[in-house]
Amino acid sequence: MNVLTCADDFGSMMTCIYEAYACRLGHRSIRLELEPILQPELFCQYRQVDFDEKKAAAVIRSIQEKISWEAWQLVYRAAMSWQPHRLDCIYRFLLLGFHFGASVTDMLQHPAVSGLFALSRNVMNEAHYFREFIRFSSAKEKFLVSHIEPKCNILTLVAPHFSDRMPSEYWMIIDDTRNIAAVQPADEPFYLTSVTEEEMLRLKQAEKEDGITVLWKEFFHSISISQRASARRQRTMLPVWYRRHMPEFHE
Amino acid sequence: MITVKKEQSLQEKLHILADAAKYDVACTSSGSDRRGKTGFLGNAAAAGICHSFSGDGRCISLLKILYSNECIYDCRYCVSRRSNDRPRATFTPVEICRLTMEFYRRNYIEGLFLSSGVCQSPEYTMEKIYETVRLLRTRFHFNGYIHVKAIPNAPEELLTLTGFLVDRMSINMELPTEESLKKLAPHKSFRSIFQPMKQIAGGIMTSRLSSGKSPTLDRHRSNQYLSGSIFNRKALEDSTVSPSDAPRGFDLSLKKEQTPFIPAGQSTQMIIGAAPENDFLLLQTAQTLYRRFDLKRVFYSAYIPVNEDPMLPPPDTAVPLLREHRLYQADWLLRFYGFQAEELLSPDRPNFNPLLDPKCDWALRHLEHFPIEINQAPFETLMRVPGIGSKSALRIVNARRFGALDFTHLKKIGVVLKRAKYFITCSGAMMYRIPMEEKFITRQLTGEEYQANWDISHPQTYHQMTLFETGGFSV
Ligand code: SF4
Repeated sequence: MNVLTCADDFGSMMTCIYEAYACRLGHRSIRLELEPILQPELFCQYRQVDFDEKKAAAVIRSIQEKISWEAWQLVYRAAMSWQPHRLDCIYRFLLLGFHFGASVTDMLQHPAVSGLFALSRNVMNEAHYFREFIRFSSAKEKFLVSHIEPKCNILTLVAPHFSDRMPSEYWMIIDDTRNIAAVQPADEPFYLTSVTEEEMLRLKQAEKEDGITVLWKEFFHSISISQRASARRQRTMLPVWYRRHMPEFHE
Repeated sequence: MITVKKEQSLQEKLHILADAAKYDVACTSSGSDRRGKTGFLGNAAAAGICHSFSGDGRCISLLKILYSNECIYDCRYCVSRRSNDRPRATFTPVEICRLTMEFYRRNYIEGLFLSSGVCQSPEYTMEKIYETVRLLRTRFHFNGYIHVKAIPNAPEELLTLTGFLVDRMSINMELPTEESLKKLAPHKSFRSIFQPMKQIAGGIMTSRLSSGKSPTLDRHRSNQYLSGSIFNRKALEDSTVSPSDAPRGFDLSLKKEQTPFIPAGQSTQMIIGAAPENDFLLLQTAQTLYRRFDLKRVFYSAYIPVNEDPMLPPPDTAVPLLREHRLYQADWLLRFYGFQAEELLSPDRPNFNPLLDPKCDWALRHLEHFPIEINQAPFETLMRVPGIGSKSALRIVNARRFGALDFTHLKKIGVVLKRAKYFITCSGAMMYRIPMEEKFITRQLTGEEYQANWDISHPQTYHQMTLFETGGFSV
C-alpha cells in the first residue's frame, strides 16, 4: 500500500490529489492521509506531498469543469471537516466523479458519494449553528469581536454571511482553537489572518465591557413563558456546547 | 388605569414590554430574501434564522416587543387588558430603533417584531408603529427583517405606508368563530379582522403583479407535483381577493416606493383551548385562510390561563401543548404534503389522536394503499408515507434512476425507518415480515411515539414514571 500524506490545509489536500493521479500506481493501492501520521503502518510506503499552487489550481478547475459546481462545493465543505479520513473520502469521490461526471452527486447508493455528503452535511450543520449563535461584542463602539471554537474549520463558510449583512461595520470573528480570524474593515472585503497570543488577550478584555449585553439578557429572560418552561427542549435546540460565548447564558 | 409617573429606565420598559409580547407565538424571520447593501445594516434569509432558544425552548429570532401595553381594550384572554392591574410602559420610536440596531449588530436577532396594545386609539397606535419602522429604515438604515402587527380598526392609509417598509404584517384572528370573538374580545369583530386582511392580500397581489411575479406567494416547490395541494389552481378559484382590494393610497405609493409591499406575506394566530372550538374547525379555518387570503402562515398558540375569568378555563388548567403540536403537524401536512383538512379530520372525528401524529394516523386508516414500492411509487405517494419527508422523497426519486434502492440506502437518505418500515417495500420485500394489520401497527407506532408525546405535554418533567413506561403502550 502506498500512502500519500500532506499538511492539513486545503491547498495541500488538492495537491495531494493531483499527485495521487499523477503517480499512476493504481487507485486501489493508494491511500491519502493527513499529517501528522501518528501510527505509521508496517508494509506501507509513505510519501509526503508539499503544497503546489499550480497543481492545486488544476485539480480545483477540473472538479468545477469536468464534474460540476455542486461537486466542487461538496469537496470544499468536506475538506473543512475535522474527521481524519476526509482526504481519502474526497479522493474516492473524485474517482467516481471524473468517471461519471455531474450525475455523481445523485448516486447516493455509492458509499463514496454518501460518505462525502455526510461529511459536507456535518460541516454545513456546524456552520449553520454558528451563523445563528455567533455573538459579537462591541469594543469601545469601534469594532465588533466574536470568539468561536468550532470543531470544523468553518470560518470561510460563515464570514461571507456576515460580510453581506454587515458590510459597513468593522468586525472580526476569531477561531480560538486555530488562532485564525476573519476580519472585515468597514466597507471593505473580509480577509483571513492569524492572531498572536498578545492580540488575543487584548481582544478578550474588550469582550467584557459591552453595556448592551445587560439589555439582551433582560429581553432573553422576559420573553420566556414560565408555564411552558422546558430545559429539555431548550437543550435539544441549543446544545450546551455552543453556549460558551453566548452572553445570555452567563451569570 | 393608573399610570406610574416615575421615569422608567430602558431596561424596565424592555422587561415590561417583552414580557407582554411573549404570548404571541410568531417569531420566524422567514419569507424574505434580501441581500445586504453598503451603508446599511442587515439582510434577510428566506429560510429564517434562529438566534437563541429561551427557557421554554422556543426560538428567538426577532426582538419581539410591544410598542405599548397601555391598552384601552379589554379582551378577556389577554394579560394586557385594561381591567388588569399591571405595570404599564410605552417605548419611544427611537428607543425601539436603538435596541433593534444594537441587538442586530451583535447577531442577537434577525430583526424586529413590533406589536402593541391599543394605546389611546387604533389610529394613534398604528401611527407610532409606522413612525418607528420609517425611522428604522430611513434614519437608522436598517435592512434586516421587520414584522409588524396591523392594529384592527386603524386607518387604511397607514397600512399602505407601513406595508412598503416591512417584510411581514399580521392580524391575529385569535378565535375562529364570530361567537367566541364577541364573547372574549368584545371590541373586535370578524369585520375588523377580515377587512384589513383582505386589503393586505390585495396589496401584496398588486405589488407582486407589478414586479412581474405570480399573483400568489411562491410555495414550496414540492406542491407543484401534488395534485391535492391546497395551493394548486383550485385554490386560486377559491380566492376572493383581487388587486382592487388594496388599501387606500396604495397605487400612489406603489409608484413612489422602490420596495415590494409586505414581501414575506401576512400571517395570523389562533388561540387553542380558550374557547370550545374543535381541531377540525381550527384546521379548516386555517385552510380557508391559506386559500382565500393567501396567508403565508397560520400560527397556533396554546392558551395559557393568565386571567381569572368566568368565561375562560380556570387558571390551573394544563396548557394544551400536545394539541398545539398536532395542529402544527397537520398544518405542515397541508402546506407541504398535499393533504387537505377533510382527509385528516371529519365531523365524526373532529379532534386529533393524542397518541399518533396526523400522518401516521391517516396512514393507519388507509392501510389499503400500503405497502408501497419505493422503487416505483410516484413522488406524491412517497410523500404520504409516515417517516418520509419531502427531502427524502425527492432524494429517492433522484437516486433510484441509478439503480434499485434498499433499506440501507433509505436510511442514509434520511428516511425514518422506525416509522416507514410498516408501509413500504424495497424491490418487493418488506424490511421484516410484518402483518398489514391495523391494530398491530397502531400498537407498534404508539409505543414508539409514546415518550415523545409525553415529553411535549409535560415539558418540565425529566423522567417518565415507570408506571407509564409499562402501562400497556409498548408491545
Ligand atoms: S387589544 Fe385586546 S389583545 Fe390587544 S393588547 Fe389590548 S386587550 Fe390585549
